[in-house]
Amino acid sequence: MFSTDDSIVAVATPPGRGGIGVVRISGPESRRIAEAMLTRREPLEARMATFTRVAAKSTDVIDEVVATYFPAPRSYTGEDVVEISAHGNPVVLQAIVVRALEIGARLAEPGEFTLRAFLNGKRDLIQAEAVADLIAAATPMQARVACDQLEGTLTGQISEIDAELFSLIASLEASLDFPDEGYHFIQPAETSRRVAVVVGKIDALLSAARRGRVIREGATVVVVGRPNVGKSSIFNLLVGSDRAIVAAVAGTTRDLISEQVDLDGLAVTLVDTAGAREATDEIEREGIARAERASGIATLLLIVLDGSQPLSRDDEQLLGRTSDRSSIVVTNKADLPAAFEREGGVSVSARTGAGAEDLRRAIVRSLTGEESLRDSAALSNVRHIELLTQAHTRLVAAQRLVDIGDTPEEFVLADLQAARAHLEEIVGARTSESLLHHIFDKFCIGK
Amino acid sequence: MTSFDVIVIGAGHAGVEAAYAAARLGCSVGLCTLSRDTVAHMPCNPAVGGTAKGHLVREIDALGGLMGRAIDATGIQFKLLNRSRGPAVWSPRAQADKRQYSAWVSKALQRQPKISWLIGKAARPEVKHGRVAGLVMDDGTHYGCRALVVTTGTFLNGLIHIGPERRPAGRHNEPPSHELAESLRSFGFDIGRLKTGTPPRLHRDSIDFERAVREGHFVEERGDSVPQPFSFSTTSGLRNQITCWLLHTTERVHDLVREHIDQSPLYNGQIQGIGPRYCPSLEDKVMRFPERERHQIYLEPEGVDVDEIYVNGFSMSLPRDVQELLVRALPGLQDAVVLRPGYAVEYDFVQPTELRSSLETHRVQGLFLAGQINGTSGYEEAAAQGLVVGANAALAVLGKEPLVLGRDEAYIGVMVDDLITRGCLEPYRMFTSRAEHRLLLRIDNADLRLTPLGYRIGLTDRDEWARFSARQDRHSRNTRTLERTLVRTEEGARISASERLRRPGIVLEGLIASGEVHLEFEDVSRSLEVASIENDVKYAGYLRRERASAERTRRQDRKRVPDLFDYARVPGLSREVVQRFSQVRPETVGQASRIPGVTPAAVAVLAAFLERSAFSEADRA
Repeated sequence: MFSTDDSIVAVATPPGRGGIGVVRISGPESRRIAEAMLTRREPLEARMATFTRVAAKSTDVIDEVVATYFPAPRSYTGEDVVEISAHGNPVVLQAIVVRALEIGARLAEPGEFTLRAFLNGKRDLIQAEAVADLIAAATPMQARVACDQLEGTLTGQISEIDAELFSLIASLEASLDFPDEGYHFIQPAETSRRVAVVVGKIDALLSAARRGRVIREGATVVVVGRPNVGKSSIFNLLVGSDRAIVAAVAGTTRDLISEQVDLDGLAVTLVDTAGAREATDEIEREGIARAERASGIATLLLIVLDGSQPLSRDDEQLLGRTSDRSSIVVTNKADLPAAFEREGGVSVSARTGAGAEDLRRAIVRSLTGEESLRDSAALSNVRHIELLTQAHTRLVAAQRLVDIGDTPEEFVLADLQAARAHLEEIVGARTSESLLHHIFDKFCIGK
Repeated sequence: MTSFDVIVIGAGHAGVEAAYAAARLGCSVGLCTLSRDTVAHMPCNPAVGGTAKGHLVREIDALGGLMGRAIDATGIQFKLLNRSRGPAVWSPRAQADKRQYSAWVSKALQRQPKISWLIGKAARPEVKHGRVAGLVMDDGTHYGCRALVVTTGTFLNGLIHIGPERRPAGRHNEPPSHELAESLRSFGFDIGRLKTGTPPRLHRDSIDFERAVREGHFVEERGDSVPQPFSFSTTSGLRNQITCWLLHTTERVHDLVREHIDQSPLYNGQIQGIGPRYCPSLEDKVMRFPERERHQIYLEPEGVDVDEIYVNGFSMSLPRDVQELLVRALPGLQDAVVLRPGYAVEYDFVQPTELRSSLETHRVQGLFLAGQINGTSGYEEAAAQGLVVGANAALAVLGKEPLVLGRDEAYIGVMVDDLITRGCLEPYRMFTSRAEHRLLLRIDNADLRLTPLGYRIGLTDRDEWARFSARQDRHSRNTRTLERTLVRTEEGARISASERLRRPGIVLEGLIASGEVHLEFEDVSRSLEVASIENDVKYAGYLRRERASAERTRRQDRKRVPDLFDYARVPGLSREVVQRFSQVRPETVGQASRIPGVTPAAVAVLAAFLERSAFSEADRA
């Protein structure tokens, strides 16, 4: 259930695209929230585009922006709205949203702006999420996933899982409601086996989910490494070798440079942290902080080492710090004699271009898993992943109860029903009436 | 003209509870019935309880109703169903002595001075300015009243079918009620037609039970060795006095049904009403489940000194001679004498979406409906609604808030909510699977859930309250003792008894038997009280989660939709949804969300609209 009297914020432009990105704040507090994050002291004027800056909590500037205040009712949602147009860098846009949350906005639920617009008579149709996805598709692969969802391949698969769970639940429920009908509706061993089947299917969907999400939202790949290992050369190698560049966005905070590249149909935002340590001390510290912030949101890190020199303490520290992150170690300067041996990773020469293809393949593989991108429906909606994960947890709990064996069925059923409720948030609810219907159709109940 | 606060039409299971509850709340009650001989009559199976139905009876009892005490006093065989499963689905069931049951209830009503008997046939409610003013009998007598409760069972345009024979009747040999049906129709109620049925009755002396058992045709079915009471106030006197018998149909029986199927009103188009799928007629069993080689049949005596044997599972509407043929085809019943044939009965019901959660109709103020007229089936379902309706009729007269039980509070709450939000497509029977918060709604805690509520509105008297208070104190003391007593684990550690109890394989009876903990129990209800405590401790995690989820639903149920709200005002609701909402008239956002065919988005839109208009009204104020 949505609350409708607070202020909400979200990035309003499609994720992972260059050029301009818009953060929208809507609700009675939107103007106060926006003014609190802008460096400009004067209040925002109605329907006037104002050039200013957004500052983070620690007063450092996040980006130069254009802010426009639309008082109710003449706005997108019909409420007070402030739209902040910044550079279309996901790192920057996310920082602006986080800032708004700090000041008191709430993160908008999917479709919530549209819902409010609709409630205020601004729209006469709530459009399906997948339709918006289709419009937003940046690469053919994205379009395909959106389409799959539209055609219900995914919901079809979840429906199948749901139907299996439903029929299992019906048998168990029947055994509770009709104890003296002379039926053995289901045995514990069969319950356990059938729960395992459902768990297995959800597992498969969830592992497809990770790559699905990457396909839909794109991935952020951040190049890190100590100075002079050739980060910028690696960055240029990846950017320059691909013709499908969407837009080149100059580093928004002087030290971060990001590019949109298409790797095998995958929308990747490549972020370079070059130059971070090449200036004076104060700026260097700031640069390091920003590089770290960027790596914090990275889907994947490219850790660049200089293969021609022995590993330094900085290298070792970086490798240690990032050991639990999803990363690829890139050993650069492969054209020079190797100064150390290292297992794994990719060997590249930015100068000659040798190993560039290996690196691209490694990135795609790491982001999408081993399987081919072009089979089966990928689960690409964060909400779906969350719901499936919750269903999974309850099913595993149910199976444990069944296997231990001394817990009454109604508790097993409580877990199974909770799992089903999560699935049905995706595919639409069934009622206890349809459960009974299923039982009566299958079994002759009633003495 | 004689006037009452409340008049109840019908003295079946719904009517008697309604009259009794209204009287307990201090209202003068006129109880209108055709005959005092059929008070709390059991026209179908001679039994009370069963899965989920047993829960309803416990709840009726916890709220001061009659049914639990009546069956404890007149039951002749007691069983706790689902004993091998968890306590949330344990459910008591008992065979009743029909005559004694009826007599017991009749006496209980006579002892209640606020109840007057109005013997005769009700014709039509008298309605002035959209509200009930009285009742007109078919002999022209007028009675005044401020609330009118209609519990007419299968009598509204009742039509009995036995093969080609068709007789207007509410029950066996009792006249139906056409005028009342017409007057209800005239108010504009959405009226549908349902069907139910009953099996033939056999003469006890025509069956050689011993021989049939010896020859392996019948299996004896006995009651529990320690009978469990329905009522929280019963302390002794439960006795198993009869045996029932289990037998099975044969292929020959099925062949006979198929051979005569065109004579069944169910299969030749003579019957229009919709019957319950959970209680199929023999015709349905054979035709719909041809793969089943046999079906269970129970022979149940209708009382200790009664000749009639009820053939449970053998309801049908075939012609008399075919019924006789079928009965005698059953193994062990070759010489059986049919005392009364089975029949199907079609009757009118009012779609319960016409009702508020108090079971008062939306259309006519002061008019309340309960029982089969609302599309339900079963004595227990009827009695539970009767209790709610009696209390609410009285509360309305007294100008007080109605008694509305939540879906997480009682099976009664689940039933009423299901009825008013979903309506009925077939006769509604209670099942545990209808209660999404089933884990919280056990038979052992029905009193802890409901008695304080009943006492607050006046349904529970002082004596009952004193007994309950003692039991509640005992319960808290026992719970505390478990938390405070330290016991030793296998590894030698000392932990609290409750913590110990949470481990797999540890049961409370074990801890008590080993002398590790000392708890106090009332003898007759001991096993239930033990289960109550054990369940609360052992599955505390599940219960906590269940309560949290119930609380989320409750929040929706607290958001009220104004009376006479115009749904067309809400922008963006589809015409179908507006129509559905306008038909059902949900009183809360929670109810709206449970109406079939209403999407979560539509509910969100409604809730947002209501919040917004409440907001702007507050602004204006």
